[in-house]
Amino acid sequence: MDSIIKDLDTTWQDGESKNITFIVTKDCQLACKYCYLVGKNEKERMTWEVAKAAVDYILAHEEDFQEPSVVWDFIGGEPFLEIDLIDRICDYIKTETFRLNHHWFDSYRFSFSTNGINYDSEKVQRFITKNHSHISVGITIDGTKRKHDLNRIWKGDGPEKGSYDAVVKNIPLWLSQFPEGSTKVTISSADIPYIRESVLHLYSLGIKEVNINVVFEDVWNDGDDKLFEEQLTLLADDIIEHGLYKNYACSFFSEAIGKPLDAQLDNQNWCGAGKMLSIDAAGNFYPCTRFAGYSLRNKRPIIIGNITDGIDSNKLRPFLTLDRTTQSPQKCIDCEIASGCAWCQGENYDAAKTDTIFQRSTAICKMHYARVRANNYYWNKLFRKEELEANKPTQSVNPI
Amino acid sequence: MTKKKIGRVTEQERDEIQTLFERRNGLNELAMILTADKPELYERLVKDMGESTTRFQEWWDRMGSKYQWESAPDGHWEIDFKNCTIYLVVPQ
Amino acid sequence: MIKYLIIPLSDNAVSFCHYNARKGSSATIETETLRKALIWAMKENLSVQFLYPSEGVGKNIELIINTIDHTDIVPADCRDNNRLKGADIVVFNTWDGIETFGFRPDQSYIIRTTTEILINHRDGIQALLKKVNRLNIVVTDVPNFNPELHNGYQEFLESLIPTIVEEYSSGHMVQLNLLTDRIMLTGMNNCNAGNESLTLAPDGNFYTCPAFYFDGFPAVGTTEQGPDIKNPQLYRLSHAPICRICDAYQCKRCVWHNQQLTFEVNTPGKQQCVMAHIERNASRKLLEALRKAMPGFMSETIIQEIKYLDPFDNIKI
Repeated sequence: MDSIIKDLDTTWQDGESKNITFIVTKDCQLACKYCYLVGKNEKERMTWEVAKAAVDYILAHEEDFQEPSVVWDFIGGEPFLEIDLIDRICDYIKTETFRLNHHWFDSYRFSFSTNGINYDSEKVQRFITKNHSHISVGITIDGTKRKHDLNRIWKGDGPEKGSYDAVVKNIPLWLSQFPEGSTKVTISSADIPYIRESVLHLYSLGIKEVNINVVFEDVWNDGDDKLFEEQLTLLADDIIEHGLYKNYACSFFSEAIGKPLDAQLDNQNWCGAGKMLSIDAAGNFYPCTRFAGYSLRNKRPIIIGNITDGIDSNKLRPFLTLDRTTQSPQKCIDCEIASGCAWCQGENYDAAKTDTIFQRSTAICKMHYARVRANNYYWNKLFRKEELEANKPTQSVNPI
Repeated sequence: MTKKKIGRVTEQERDEIQTLFERRNGLNELAMILTADKPELYERLVKDMGESTTRFQEWWDRMGSKYQWESAPDGHWEIDFKNCTIYLVVPQ
Repeated sequence: MIKYLIIPLSDNAVSFCHYNARKGSSATIETETLRKALIWAMKENLSVQFLYPSEGVGKNIELIINTIDHTDIVPADCRDNNRLKGADIVVFNTWDGIETFGFRPDQSYIIRTTTEILINHRDGIQALLKKVNRLNIVVTDVPNFNPELHNGYQEFLESLIPTIVEEYSSGHMVQLNLLTDRIMLTGMNNCNAGNESLTLAPDGNFYTCPAFYFDGFPAVGTTEQGPDIKNPQLYRLSHAPICRICDAYQCKRCVWHNQQLTFEVNTPGKQQCVMAHIERNASRKLLEALRKAMPGFMSETIIQEIKYLDPFDNIKI
């Protein structure tokens, strides 16, 4: 029987694509409280010359970028603040990949994570129309108004003001253009009481896929895990009782998580840092945006090259040889519920005792335990429901 | 509109049409920005669009003939790239 | 576990490895610091190695040094003749004076040189191999080991094989780190700074190795508090993804070069890997040549033929 449970959509050309990120601006209209970008500012905006040089370098070194597909990713701050630049970069990429007969002309996407505030602007809309079949846009909306406005507040002095109203007005337009659009929800300590209502609210807005995760930083208070488990359990009840699992997905619940991992067979790194490439306004290359200066609280940036000198392949060697067990403490290697416990290489680096990417941060340990307990509950309850419904006698059966 | 599952293709066949599909989309979107002031590129684009459309149609003809899929007046076939499934779509 | 303590006695103490000593400073370790450190070394059962400057050290330092069993590493241009005579290891930083130096069988020798200069001194090294029992060659420009130098380095190493075979055949078992170590070793035998050795610098603080002190890295402890190496597992072979699958056993696996080239102490740069593999492959040829000259020579030792020069290429994830 075909499953009637909606799966999370896998990323486009997952594992087959190179992810190249342009940090087009470090500015944003918002000042979200959980934002890991500690060095946001209005000055560092990418120029056309830097962007063009980056594209030229990448396309001229096809032998070093052999992935069959590419995702050209644009982030900020808020990327759509630089829509004119982005439009010019994308036009240039299309023209140049065609002119050079580059293999990426046949397999590319332009990807955006936006706060959604100026999504309906004329320029953004014109850009979307022009590139529609190659665009992936995620609008970040954190859930109900009270949950969203708790963290996602406008930048500036004066009393705190949430951004929910400015974002939610654009959701219908976005979903009409990208019906499979998913949103990204971030949970920190203060958000936990609103998880259930927020996921349900996002479903009610028509968002079928909610990618949600707890922040990797060490922000968790005593009792957060209990509250988290309770919220997920309540959410599980709602999703199952109202049959929402048929059409909607929430990344907190996954059959694959909560199992032990083999030290040899399941030893791959979780994070794709090093396989990606990020470029900032100064034309520096990073293994991922999280290693740029504006993302780091305690450490110096890890620069792996620049648009003039190219990539220093020695700087990529640690990233490309990093495996799960080498960076994990023994408790993680022995953990009975290790699968699905994520980490961010940049946060590991930022939180490490030395300047290394080989020390895994375990700040989310108790939150993962809580998630796994709720996840077990979800699947046990859901499978039992399906089982009972499958065995339910129908009226067409004649009693003997 | 009705949508009926009528068959499947192999992953290799799916990859073939997906590449053609991607190229055709790329060419269409490039056509929106490429102007006649770059005559060499423009000519290449027009030629490529013609060739891609032909190869695209050839794939459907070849597969239709190989698998003998059901058809309908005013209907058309669609492929789901995720699972290689072919649908017959008929407007009502 | 730390087994060795290296003590450069001053800022201009001779380098015995890849790094360069600090120029323009001759600051000497304080006697009280040295005394405390040696007491600590005795309690920890450490073997101590002293690095001397060319001008030697004062009487006060001499007296403290002699309170502990130790190894003396002395520059060949040391102006204190007694010190030079008593040295366990003599270091040459230039080729000047090598030809006329009075080499002795009970001393080991280190030559520090750039790759290109080394390649041009083939005859000098061949002559030296007849005079000494142990010679270590330390290349001081590993980060510049680019593909244009690969063939020259390989040819240089292979050119030494006939001399070594000749010496062995006549009963002189000369050791040259770049060629004979790989034949004798059955597992990785690297520098192991941070894991087996530690450095007490002239400033009175502990460092992973002298290079980290001279290159301006932060200390890993003080003589008051003792050493405290953070993330110590990263200095072990088990936590070095490239090195733990490698069989270039003679490689120095220099954690300072690792830090310089890849920003990680446990990850070597390509230059170090390729250089070590050229040495490994030349060692393989030396073993074959020795077996031809002396059938049955080290018959248990096998060095496989391999197709790569950088083990990274085998494990890229």
